[in-house]
Amino acid sequence: MLQHQYMFFRILKRDLKRKKTMNVILFLFIVLASMFVSSGINNVVTIMNGTDYYLDKAGIGDYVIITMGDNAVGALDEMLETETAVQDYRMERVVFGAQGDITAEDGSSVECKNTTIYQSIENSAITFFDMENEPVTGVEPGHVYVSGSFMEANGFEKGDRIRFRHSGVEGLEMSFILDGSIKDALLGSDFMGNTRFLLSDEDMRKLLENETIYNHYRGEICYIDTDDIQEMKAAMADVSNVVFDGARSTIKMCYVMDMVVAFVMLILSVCLIIVSFVVLKFSITFTITEEFREIGVMKAIGLSNGKIRSLYIVKYLMLAIVGAIIGFIASIPFGGLLLDSVSRKMMLGSDHAILLNMLGSVLVVCVIVLFAWIYTGKVKQSSPLDAIRSGQTGERYRSKSVLRIHKCPGGNAFYMAANDILSNPKRFLTIMISFGLCTLFVLMLVNTTATMKSPNLITMFGTESDLYVTDVADVMDYMNTGSKEGMQEHLKEMAEKLGEDGMPAELCIELQYKYHITFDGNRYVLTCQQGMNTEITEYAYTEGIPPQNEYEIAITPQISDLTGAKIGDTMTIHYGGEDMECMVTAYFQTMNLLGEVIRLHENAPTDFRYISSAMSYQIDFTDNPSEEEIELRKERIKKLYNNDKVMNVTEYCIDCTAVADTLESVQFLILGITLVVVILVTILMERSFTVDEKSQIAILKAIGFKDGAIIRWHVYRFGLAALIAVVVAAALSIPMTKLCITPIFGMMGAGDIDYHIDPLQIFIVYPGIVFVMTIFVTWITALYTRAIKSSDTANVE
Amino acid sequence: MAALLEVKDLCKTYVVNKRQNNVLKNVNFSVEDGEMVAIMGPSGSGKSTLLYAVSGMDGATGGTVMFDGKDITKLKGKELAALRLDKMGFIFQQMYMMKNLTILDNIVLPAMESKKTSESKKEKLMRGEELMRKLGIIEVADNDINEVSGGQLQRACICRSMINKPKVLFADEPTGALNRTVSDEVMEELAKLNKEGTTIIMVTHDAKVAAKCSRVLYIVDGTIKGEYKSPSEPEAQEKDRERMLNNWLMELGW
Repeated sequence: MLQHQYMFFRILKRDLKRKKTMNVILFLFIVLASMFVSSGINNVVTIMNGTDYYLDKAGIGDYVIITMGDNAVGALDEMLETETAVQDYRMERVVFGAQGDITAEDGSSVECKNTTIYQSIENSAITFFDMENEPVTGVEPGHVYVSGSFMEANGFEKGDRIRFRHSGVEGLEMSFILDGSIKDALLGSDFMGNTRFLLSDEDMRKLLENETIYNHYRGEICYIDTDDIQEMKAAMADVSNVVFDGARSTIKMCYVMDMVVAFVMLILSVCLIIVSFVVLKFSITFTITEEFREIGVMKAIGLSNGKIRSLYIVKYLMLAIVGAIIGFIASIPFGGLLLDSVSRKMMLGSDHAILLNMLGSVLVVCVIVLFAWIYTGKVKQSSPLDAIRSGQTGERYRSKSVLRIHKCPGGNAFYMAANDILSNPKRFLTIMISFGLCTLFVLMLVNTTATMKSPNLITMFGTESDLYVTDVADVMDYMNTGSKEGMQEHLKEMAEKLGEDGMPAELCIELQYKYHITFDGNRYVLTCQQGMNTEITEYAYTEGIPPQNEYEIAITPQISDLTGAKIGDTMTIHYGGEDMECMVTAYFQTMNLLGEVIRLHENAPTDFRYISSAMSYQIDFTDNPSEEEIELRKERIKKLYNNDKVMNVTEYCIDCTAVADTLESVQFLILGITLVVVILVTILMERSFTVDEKSQIAILKAIGFKDGAIIRWHVYRFGLAALIAVVVAAALSIPMTKLCITPIFGMMGAGDIDYHIDPLQIFIVYPGIVFVMTIFVTWITALYTRAIKSSDTANVE
Repeated sequence: MAALLEVKDLCKTYVVNKRQNNVLKNVNFSVEDGEMVAIMGPSGSGKSTLLYAVSGMDGATGGTVMFDGKDITKLKGKELAALRLDKMGFIFQQMYMMKNLTILDNIVLPAMESKKTSESKKEKLMRGEELMRKLGIIEVADNDINEVSGGQLQRACICRSMINKPKVLFADEPTGALNRTVSDEVMEELAKLNKEGTTIIMVTHDAKVAAKCSRVLYIVDGTIKGEYKSPSEPEAQEKDRERMLNNWLMELGW
């Protein structure tokens, strides 16, 4: 028995040493697979639980209410005390400011998201996290933490100074040192998108000491624990000065843009897991086929099937365990790298991250042993004859060759390459699947990013105009005074000013109101959009007839789902003192407020007391300027209004979706990962093929083939396989984008997207990059064939 | 007759673990056009190394090998490849062929690679078929390499080596993996080719095979110990030729 074991390990040791190249290749595949699978499983679980995990850690509760403006403080108290649905609540006091209230130390303007919010970090009701996902509990007086991408967007570093001057208060000026960015679960998403400044309690007190601020710019953010969201929504009908109220699900939806990136990572992780298993299957079947000669010899000398099989299973198990351990270690930073692109705004993570990574590695070991078990099953069928015929029994009745040399166009190298692929397509399927999947994924992302960076999405945000001014801080003045006429006058003045500057234009703006709406006996507080200086027929509709008068409205599918209202139904809108029965005449889609919007006719009796938000000033030049002229005017308007937030239609769409730039950087990250997969798979497979085909390469050299011809044969082979993969990926990219990405847009409110497809990128640039990289790496790797000599025909096994 | 191949002071040394192993030591011989020469010797004597060195498949450490007016020890990879493609043919003990190609496509592969003639692909294919017909294996032209016998495969290897009408055919134990009957048949084919004017240099262990050659070089420890010329009289019977060669070999300690 001991002698048996001794021999067993002697054979194993010799095998590992002698077949170094193949064993190293297999080992590297195992490390890669383990790394991809481990990080992939962890990322999938992390992303699936992403927002819930984050909101739980922050302590956001089940329902959030934000109140603002005159007499806002205390407005909630009665409801909170009397409403039975409220189980518990936490409240924080905040101060609202305009976008322009914050400047750099030198007075230059900086970019803030929408209305700015100031509060004491010590008295915050939720937990904020720093970039290392550690809770932030305090800040020194004179220092400040800022939410969102404020620091990045303005190029601020920790330690830089900013100045605060409230636009509504004369003479109030404060200076703060930036301590860093924080992750804000409520307002950190692109949809909520308010920049929140977390001050020390002392600084906050100073702010509130100002009477104007105390009376007019105070607000409250309330986080409520409840089991009855419907009841909470109904209770909100009695609360005034609400700028936002929404359930946890709504806040979760606000991270939909971040989750788009997260889901991209999730799909990438799944792709990498598939690629890993495809590659593992290839390498195990390939190496076991290589063993047939030895299996035959062992059978010839009388070793039992079980012994032979256990020899290989032990070998694969050893390689798998060592490879999986290394892969597991590598998976931690690799997984972090993938999640890092998502988690700048969110605290993504899992309480069991290490365990999940470990689980992935164990899974890889199990799969390898399973593959080894299945494929060594062939040992039973092999005979000592295999020792002579290297695993070929000769019992084949169909010719393997598919192409004929005299009928094939191109040279011999091309013929051999094409014939190899057609004769043994299974062998090249690994390349085709892994390259095809990765390329398809990159192309889907390219289509999505291109769409988000195109004007195609403008109908999801409003109407198309020449320019948009997104800094609408001055609307706040009219919101506070409740003057709709004042707003109209303001638009007129702006148009006149532009006309005086040689830019004749008409201005419009889309405004959002919060109104109580009743349908089918249920009451809702819903956002209604109405254009000022636009006609309702200018907007796009997906079904029905645009509203013709103030008694007609259009709704989104999301509102239809929420209320059950359909075209032809009548909803009651409570316009302050006046109730109006309005018929739904059309459906439209919008990405504003994730689609939960009603569109009102321009004659509807809206009142500025109920205004909640303004979209942007839209400028339409009346003298039909060229695109170049519009760009020039954009710069002039920026100077004219001392406002950097002037955009053309494409820039406006990018600004609205907010995630386009992140998605583009993710696209490049994934292209990088695809190229790494291409490089690794190509190197490892080409080396495997070279080892397997050593005798064929030697004989080709012996009969007079030059090194270049042999290298060309190998390059064409991989090139053809990669070409098939990228062509299929390019062909599938448009339908697959529609299939996979449209539901994500649907979650944001846009179920029917007119994708912007750039044929040059989809059919030439990206497939070309993958193809050229394959060719280049194969060429470099195939240079090794030069080391095989024609005389090796004498000593090839 | 002019010497087609002239070997002078050919040396080949391998260095393994810092130890020199002089496999060929100042080997000198020449082969004339149309000759059929066998290289014999005990195992490890350097027969195959000599064959590979004189055919340019392996580099020499010293000496010269003049072939067709050129010293092939001085030629670079591309020139050697061109030489092997157009002017030399090779047959090996192991009948290596491209796995995914049919027998006929394997045979015509060197012709398709060569630019020696202006023949069309179809003409080259017909030439391959003609060779197969001549060697009696035309019926396996479209077969896979695993679907034919060892004898048929070695004949196919001979066809491949002859497809570009080489000046010299190098054979390393061409019958080593075949049984006696098939071995005789293969040797008959080689003899026929030689009679038609192809120069053949082969390494063999088999005196019966070597007896078909016009000359035998006996190599021991990397040095040619003797040279045997078969009787040129046509009336000499095959068995007599074999017996005389055996006697000579025994004198050298075979």
